[in-house]
Amino acid sequence: MKKEIVLKIDHVSYRYKDAPKDVYVFKNMSYTFETGKVYVIKGKSGSGKTTLLSLISGLEKGYEGKIYFRDRDLSRIKLDKYRNSDIGIVFQSYNLLVHLTASENILLSMNINGMKEKNKKERVIELLESVGLTKDHANRRVLKLSGGEQQRVAIARSLSYNPGIILADEPTGNLDRETENDILKIFKDLAHKDNKCVIIVTHSDNVAKQADEVIELTSQKKKD
Amino acid sequence: MYIIKNAFISISRNKGRNILIGIIIMVIAASCAITLAIRSSADKIVTSYEKKYPIEVTIGMNRANLTQSFKDNNSSQEDMIEAFNELEPLTIEEIEKYGDSSYIAKYHYTYSVSLNGKDIKEATDSLVKETTTTKTETETKTETYETPAPSRDGNMPPFDRENSGSTSTKKSTTQRKTTTTQVENIRNERAAKGVFTVIGYNSYEAMSDFINGNYTITDGEVSDDFDANNCVISEELATLNELKVGDIITLVSPDDEKITYDLNITGIYQENTDSASDMRNMFSNSANTIITNVTTVKDIVSKDEDANPTVTPTYILKNKDDVGAFEVEVTSKGLSNYYMLNNNLEVVENATKSVLSVKNFATTFLIITLIIGAVVLLVINMINIRERKYEIGVLRTIGMKKSLVGTQFTLELLIVCLTFLVLGAFIGGFTSVQVSNKLLNNEISNAKEDIENISNNFGGKMRDFNRNEIGVQELETIDSIDAAVDMKVLAQLLGIGIGLTLVGSAASMIAISRFSPLDILKERS
Repeated sequence: MKKEIVLKIDHVSYRYKDAPKDVYVFKNMSYTFETGKVYVIKGKSGSGKTTLLSLISGLEKGYEGKIYFRDRDLSRIKLDKYRNSDIGIVFQSYNLLVHLTASENILLSMNINGMKEKNKKERVIELLESVGLTKDHANRRVLKLSGGEQQRVAIARSLSYNPGIILADEPTGNLDRETENDILKIFKDLAHKDNKCVIIVTHSDNVAKQADEVIELTSQKKKD
Repeated sequence: MYIIKNAFISISRNKGRNILIGIIIMVIAASCAITLAIRSSADKIVTSYEKKYPIEVTIGMNRANLTQSFKDNNSSQEDMIEAFNELEPLTIEEIEKYGDSSYIAKYHYTYSVSLNGKDIKEATDSLVKETTTTKTETETKTETYETPAPSRDGNMPPFDRENSGSTSTKKSTTQRKTTTTQVENIRNERAAKGVFTVIGYNSYEAMSDFINGNYTITDGEVSDDFDANNCVISEELATLNELKVGDIITLVSPDDEKITYDLNITGIYQENTDSASDMRNMFSNSANTIITNVTTVKDIVSKDEDANPTVTPTYILKNKDDVGAFEVEVTSKGLSNYYMLNNNLEVVENATKSVLSVKNFATTFLIITLIIGAVVLLVINMINIRERKYEIGVLRTIGMKKSLVGTQFTLELLIVCLTFLVLGAFIGGFTSVQVSNKLLNNEISNAKEDIENISNNFGGKMRDFNRNEIGVQELETIDSIDAAVDMKVLAQLLGIGIGLTLVGSAASMIAISRFSPLDILKERS
């Protein structure tokens, strides 16, 4: 499979708005992400790993330096569109809409993307099956699903519009080891079989072990 | 499209929240429906009244200006009478000129003249009784002086001792001074010279005394032939002269007895005004009033150049707000400042005052309801938005635009609003029908009674005359209204619903624009 650079972090520095001028979460960070690989951003609490993921996903702004998605400067593109077509995000707390069923959550994501596909419902079932869920799960409200099942729905949702990058913030943080491994297997398959770039933020060594590349963040909260 | 579907799903999956919002909207809608229906009914009643009793403008003497003019010129009473006689009376041409106005819906006039009767007696309680007494007197103004004879005792009367016993005669002549006084009669030449007032009308609608019930036909009818020499006379005149329907009366010019006019009696009327309470007079004010048509009076005037007819116009305005403008127009068209325009605006406004105060009360109540409703809805929606903060965060995270999130939330509120608005309108409508129809029914029954009375006043046979001219058609329209919440009220409610939704949604729009999805999700975590 042909690997290509999908994401490039170029001398990115970030500090909180209310922090003193010279105190940064991280400073002058540069990294390149390719398709077909699982990346793990690892670090202690407060090291800025979730912040980095937020910058990459376009949920956080106000950074110094440049972030490029397929050579496009993130600060110059429409981030709503970026989030509903180029990247898929998976959170530790799943962030599903609880009043909707599993399939409705995925369908909504497809609709926000503006997909014109005719057989969306069939595609939803395919996606759910690809993450190990059945038709029965599809029509259940998400609150009626277990944590692992909800996380699978969240992954299926992130894949619904076939993005190039999957960003996952502590995706197995609330799950047991067995389920964690199942979820990690899905991510590895996405990278290795579907040639996607998977970036996982975690503090779990088990997750880090299964990554193709590990980026270790250390605390940068010191004066430069 | 998916926004609409999503809104419906969201509403159906969050029933409790939406029912709570819905109940508030329903209460607001019901209150609004009641007040709007009362407002609407009040408007209809006022419109109906104004159609039935339109703003009428008449022309009369401006005695204040006349008196001021006399005062300014230090006029004597003689000068004043002469000046009054020289004042040009209104002519039919002038009446028509003033009536040719964009402010005027229609106009009519009466044309009256004063005449004497031939072989008919006027109704009066004072007669001049002439008694001729012939007295023949012979007066000899001869003074005879006789000397008496001496008496037996030889004494003479003491007064004329020299001529005693002889007779003498003396004639005397008295001179009289005669003063001749020449009397010049200075009088108001417009004042009635004849004993009968003949009033000509040009249409039924001009016959306000019959429409208002001042006069009622007791026998026969008012003829609908406004060109024939027909008339109706008072019951008193008919009784005094033993006249009945079908008889012909002959009237004569007060200036020339050779000029006569024959009128056919088609009806006999009775006066029902307050003149009955005037106990000083035996007959009513209208006893000597003979009612005919304008054509007949014109015919009389054409034969008698000294007839001195009087024209009294009545202009019906299209809009009550045009009173001032019409006055300005008539003045600019040359109406002398010794004449003035009078109108019944105050009477009409006073009559509708109570209904308008009900309307004002309803309007105040409506405004208060809307303000309270909007505030309550805004607060509830703000609480609602706080509850749905997580949903906003998720939607924004997965790439939904702020505007679309706002649209979906607004749409949800609009769907709930409109659904419960309809329910509220039904409840409000049902309640307000009782109130509004009671108001309307009173008006309708009054109107129907009026129609019957008017018909009876003309002799009960006037079924085919133009009822619209006296506002009857409008009243019939009101008769067909059996629900107070009509399309206008529903449209107003719809506007209110959309307005409330926008006010309520303003909170969500502001919140959505200010929320950071990352902060929301962090908060949740």
